[in-house]
Amino acid sequence: MDIANLLSPEGVIPRLHATSKKQALQELARHAAALTGLHERTIFDVLLERERLGTTGVGNGIAIPHGKLSGINRLYGLFARLETAIDFDAIDEQPVDLIFMLLAPENAGADHLKALARVSRLLRDKSTCDKLRGSDRADALYALLTETATSNAA
Amino acid sequence: MDFGNALILVCAGLLLLSIFAGIVSSRIGAPLLLVFLGLGMLAGEDGPGGIDFDDFQIAYTIGAVSLAIVLFDGGLRTGSETLRAAAGPALALATVGVAITAGVTGAAAYLIFDLNWIEALLVGSVVASTDAAAVFFLLNVRGTNLPHRVRATLEAESGLNDPMAIFLTITCVELLKSGATEFSWPVLHELAFDFLTQIVGGAAIGVAGGYILVELINRLRLASGLYPILAVAGALMTFAGAQVVHASGFLAVYICGLIVAKRRHRARQIIERFQDGLAWLSQIVMFVMLGLLVTPSDLLYSLVPATFIALVLTVVARPLAAVICLLPFRFQPREHAFISWVGLRGAVPIFLGTIPVLAGVPSAKLYFEIAFVVVLASLLIQGWTVNLSAQLLNLALPPAPGPSLRFDIELPEAVGRDMAVFAVQEGSACTRLKPADLQAHSKTEVVAVMREGAMLNPANVLRLSPGDQVIIIAPDDRLPALDALFAPAPPKHLPGRVAAVLGEFTFEGTADIAELAGMYDFQIPPSDRGLTVDAFLERHLRNRPSPGDRLRLGPVELIVQAVEDGRITRAGIELDPLAAMPFSRDSMRIWLRHLLRRAKPMRPFRKK
Repeated sequence: MDIANLLSPEGVIPRLHATSKKQALQELARHAAALTGLHERTIFDVLLERERLGTTGVGNGIAIPHGKLSGINRLYGLFARLETAIDFDAIDEQPVDLIFMLLAPENAGADHLKALARVSRLLRDKSTCDKLRGSDRADALYALLTETATSNAA
Repeated sequence: MDFGNALILVCAGLLLLSIFAGIVSSRIGAPLLLVFLGLGMLAGEDGPGGIDFDDFQIAYTIGAVSLAIVLFDGGLRTGSETLRAAAGPALALATVGVAITAGVTGAAAYLIFDLNWIEALLVGSVVASTDAAAVFFLLNVRGTNLPHRVRATLEAESGLNDPMAIFLTITCVELLKSGATEFSWPVLHELAFDFLTQIVGGAAIGVAGGYILVELINRLRLASGLYPILAVAGALMTFAGAQVVHASGFLAVYICGLIVAKRRHRARQIIERFQDGLAWLSQIVMFVMLGLLVTPSDLLYSLVPATFIALVLTVVARPLAAVICLLPFRFQPREHAFISWVGLRGAVPIFLGTIPVLAGVPSAKLYFEIAFVVVLASLLIQGWTVNLSAQLLNLALPPAPGPSLRFDIELPEAVGRDMAVFAVQEGSACTRLKPADLQAHSKTEVVAVMREGAMLNPANVLRLSPGDQVIIIAPDDRLPALDALFAPAPPKHLPGRVAAVLGEFTFEGTADIAELAGMYDFQIPPSDRGLTVDAFLERHLRNRPSPGDRLRLGPVELIVQAVEDGRITRAGIELDPLAAMPFSRDSMRIWLRHLLRRAKPMRPFRKK
């Protein structure tokens, strides 16, 4: 499972502005709506529903909100780098500034899990995160996200 | 006179050297016990020390006393929580497990040495027990945080299995002395009877000894310094009393420790501190002495076959015993693997190796030498890899919060409560509280808060801050809860690898399991719909849940992350459990990184 299969260059938001968790999720839903053609509100509700089970702020400034949606036929990834870190109820109580959102079709099954695991492994790597934090150009971020994927798989 | 002084000088010198060597060893990560053993060998006849010590009788006596003290200490440290979590698996490993280990290892010895069956089984018996000391030390000193039940099983096993190994060893030695070469029905019959008296007698004397000792401690009015002496004397009485009537003193003294720890008694803190020191002393004495006792140059002859025995023991006998014994207890494969690997051998096998020598059975030194090589190999290979294997098997948990800084003050028995002074540390949970919040429990009372040398009325303190000393009176079963409030926070930034252990995502214990199932594509029985994550895990994990417990659910695994008051408050999910398994790409990477880190300081030349 390569990141390139989940994420298109348009899915990278180099400078997302948000002041709260809710606003960040709203912004992500807006961008995702443009990508998928789904309604913004539907996406937002799915993400919020997931956050109720437990935070997707996995620590070290990373969040991986995700959810399942009917009406899409493949996995959609969206990466956002926040202008200022926000409180995301993360497990380590640290503010979050890197967000990778993943939307999956209802019947994605194993692909969905593999993709989530892949994203989580990618963002667990400290040097990758440092590099992502150090760049605010979409093409550079996209290159970082996808190239690390290939070198890790080797 | 001069000889006496010289002896004191040598002993004190060895003790000091052991402590210094211990400091050095913790810097390079060598197993401490190996260092003590090595020091003894260096001081011995083949090393620069040149001390010629080969009195097996004295060695046996000193070894027995040291072992008894270490076992008593082990019993004192084994909380009732540990026993509850691990009594079943630990008992199975300590009885059936020891027999399987001894049998399989014995069969290997039969194949390669020119021995009869009883002699071969003697080889197996001598090396069959894991060492309480080695296991406690390596787990505690390295601060490895393991899933509760795995840790509890290893600890309790090592305390309980010595009696079995000792019993098998002594039985084989006596059979050999009586001229038997094969097992026959009458012999086996007698063995079974013997075994029962040893175990039942040992357990009974241990329980009785423990209760009497607690009564004595609580009834006698003594200078406080005498209580620990009373405890040690009582423990050794229990040990020797059992031995004299041919019951197992080793079992008795361990159980005595368990009972003393469980019962409420006076002078707990001073007894525990004294025991801690005494256990260290016993370890050092035992290992240095056993190192002195061996003649390293003699080991050369048995080195190759003994290494073979060590190999069979580690790779075949121990895993076989562990898998068979743990089968009924639903451990994870990776936990099986870890418990199999961490069958650490310590002083006990070497100590048991002195028994055939003392009894004067044919080629007695062979057993001693095999035991010595096996222990060396075990300390070297397993001792050095405890942490690494925990990481490879994805079992190491994130570091627990550090200990609270607590000082206990003895109150008269009748009060039924303890007084303790807690130091408030940076980042601990209590810094978000005011003193009144600590009194939520009816019998807990905050007496005073000391701040910058002044004593404040708790009612006037709005918030506790680091550096404060809080004086509290509480029932002693409340102290662990207070400890948790006063403990410093665990490191905030979780290193990536550790986070992996508890899964990719975290859920509240109150989350709905059916929603999780829909989200992460696993099936749950229809009857479990509507349950919370907490209730679901509680139902499907057969044992009391503890952090690190895992439940496989189709493609994913749920992992218990935090338990408070018996309820699971947080659970994690691992989405791709196979990738986290041993020898997956991830774990290999960790392993390589570990090797590289290790190798660096050893490089002889450093580029400028």
